[in-house]
Amino acid sequence: MAGIELQGLVKRYGATQVVHGIDLTVADGEFVVFVGPSGCGKSTTLRMIAGLEDIDGGEISIGGKVVNRLEPKDRNIAMVFQNYAIYPHMSVAENIGFGLHTAKLDKAEKRKRVEQVAGILGLEPLLERRPSALSGGQRQRVAIGRAMVRDPTVFLFDEPLSNLDAQLRAQMRLEIKRLHQRLGTTIVFVTHDQVEAMTLADRIVVMRDGRILQVGAPMELYEKPADVFTARFIGSPTMNVLPGRVVTEAGIATLALGEKPVALPTTVGTVPADVLVGVRPQQLRVLAGDEPADLVLTGSVAVIEPLGSETFVHVEFGGGLILASAPAKSPPAVGAAVRLGAPVAALTLFDAASERAL
Amino acid sequence: MSLSIDNQRSGGRFWGGLSLRRKQVVWAWAFLAVPILFYALIRFYPTVEAFYLSTTNWNLFSKPGFVGLANFERLWADVVFWQVFRNTVLYLAIGTPVSLALAFTIAYHLDRVRFLHGFIRALYFLPFLTTAAAMAWVWRWFYQPVPIGMINDLLSSFGLPQQPFLRSTSQALPSVLAPAIWAGLGFQVVIFLAGLRAIPNTYYEAARIDGVSNLTILRRITIPLLKPTIIFLVVFSSIGFLRIFDQVYNMTSGDPGGPLNATKPLVLMIYQTAFSSFEMGYAAAQTVVLFLVLLAVSFLQLRLLRDR
Repeated sequence: MAGIELQGLVKRYGATQVVHGIDLTVADGEFVVFVGPSGCGKSTTLRMIAGLEDIDGGEISIGGKVVNRLEPKDRNIAMVFQNYAIYPHMSVAENIGFGLHTAKLDKAEKRKRVEQVAGILGLEPLLERRPSALSGGQRQRVAIGRAMVRDPTVFLFDEPLSNLDAQLRAQMRLEIKRLHQRLGTTIVFVTHDQVEAMTLADRIVVMRDGRILQVGAPMELYEKPADVFTARFIGSPTMNVLPGRVVTEAGIATLALGEKPVALPTTVGTVPADVLVGVRPQQLRVLAGDEPADLVLTGSVAVIEPLGSETFVHVEFGGGLILASAPAKSPPAVGAAVRLGAPVAALTLFDAASERAL
Repeated sequence: MSLSIDNQRSGGRFWGGLSLRRKQVVWAWAFLAVPILFYALIRFYPTVEAFYLSTTNWNLFSKPGFVGLANFERLWADVVFWQVFRNTVLYLAIGTPVSLALAFTIAYHLDRVRFLHGFIRALYFLPFLTTAAAMAWVWRWFYQPVPIGMINDLLSSFGLPQQPFLRSTSQALPSVLAPAIWAGLGFQVVIFLAGLRAIPNTYYEAARIDGVSNLTILRRITIPLLKPTIIFLVVFSSIGFLRIFDQVYNMTSGDPGGPLNATKPLVLMIYQTAFSSFEMGYAAAQTVVLFLVLLAVSFLQLRLLRDR
């Protein structure tokens, strides 16, 4: 087992730089998820760790050893691909065993390893089948099995669940997490799905345009996003971000937004005049009647989305739509004028110019 | 108003009464009918006719008289036929593997070349577009003795002995086969390239991470995944070599079939029997043999190469 260290990692394709000097340390046994929109450089970074892409600058170490110039096979890693990359002309057993092709083991020993891995993944009854006779989830498991059989120090997953339907994805997520708890091997996992990132990761790395925006535990990112992008990317549904003005008088900052000014806690420190106010839909509730709240917004209901446990309400406000939550059983009617309220503690303030959190 | 609607309904009663699926079937047969009729008239009828003619002694001038299997008995005893049969098998047995091996090697390496890729591919494809007659004449010049023949020129400049090529009973067949292989190479390279491109890159990346050698990747991944392409090309080029004619005819036009029939393929023999000797019945019998050989070889290949 081994940790991974990235130092000033750079990737260029011709004149375009796609990864801009990334620094990151992944501890031994850690489950790290790279998340970001398409083209943010997360897959490229993973492929550089794997050795499938050349490194144009910086350094990658795995287990304390610089691997920049090592072939993928010499890095002692295993990778699971989005399209599984399992060979259609080989049986499940042959596919899993293919990773052992170069291993100096005799046939019986190889077979034993394959069966061992198949046992862990519940593939034993399928060993002699061809991939075409397997379901999507089973193919995914074969791909993981092929990675496991070599007993690597690091697992790399490149969007492995993207080709599965929603239900299967949730199930495989669970299986991968349990597998990690069981094997304790370092995992680097790439996804564009923030739910996958939140549910799987020990630590999440949020990337955008070839740079790391924030690294942290899932709840840390949810509660203390470093900027507007991370705030909106992490958490479902997306956080509301509204422009507001802050007036500071006699050391007391008040936010001019909605029905009445909101007194900000003194801990906030100096605040610029123009801010962006972030509030999560779960914490922006539809108020009953004259119910008081720190921040109060008013608007008319445009769309109602009942989810069973709660109901989300899209409300017209300031020329756009904001999302708030309402009790599941007594949502307001479409077109009705509503008051929305949130406590001041639920507000996240960002500098309007830099979009960084205050 | 109501009258016109009634009219429309009664006019389309048959068509309107059909289910969607039936309508699709009617359309499908309507479109298929034209080519089926065409093939029946232009292909299937003459084929059946050839089978009939092979049992007659028709010579264009008299009415065909039924002779049973006499033509086949004559063929069995014909020394030239066996020479021709041997030549045809040689064209197939050398041509198909050599051309496929060459085409695959070229395609495999061309697939990795980005620089001038399209240009090089076009160069390989060019001979496929050229008329066989023109090409055959150029190759004929290559095979001439010094000072005309380029190959003999080259041999003599290295101090090597002159070769007779087309004038030798042993060298003539390979000498004719070489331009035939060369002419078909472009087509096979393009088909192989398409097959190679269709293999997802992640298969190779996964193999690289597993650390298997290039040879193993080629043997265990590339070739098995190319199987449909290989089957197609084996069958297609086998039929081509079994029916080889224009290369041979044009390269040995002074003495069609080469010295002592050394290069004569079955199709050329049929051509000569039919249009030089006007023995239509005998030629038809040879055609039937060629047809059966083609059928047998294609079936055998499809069976051997299909999923084991």
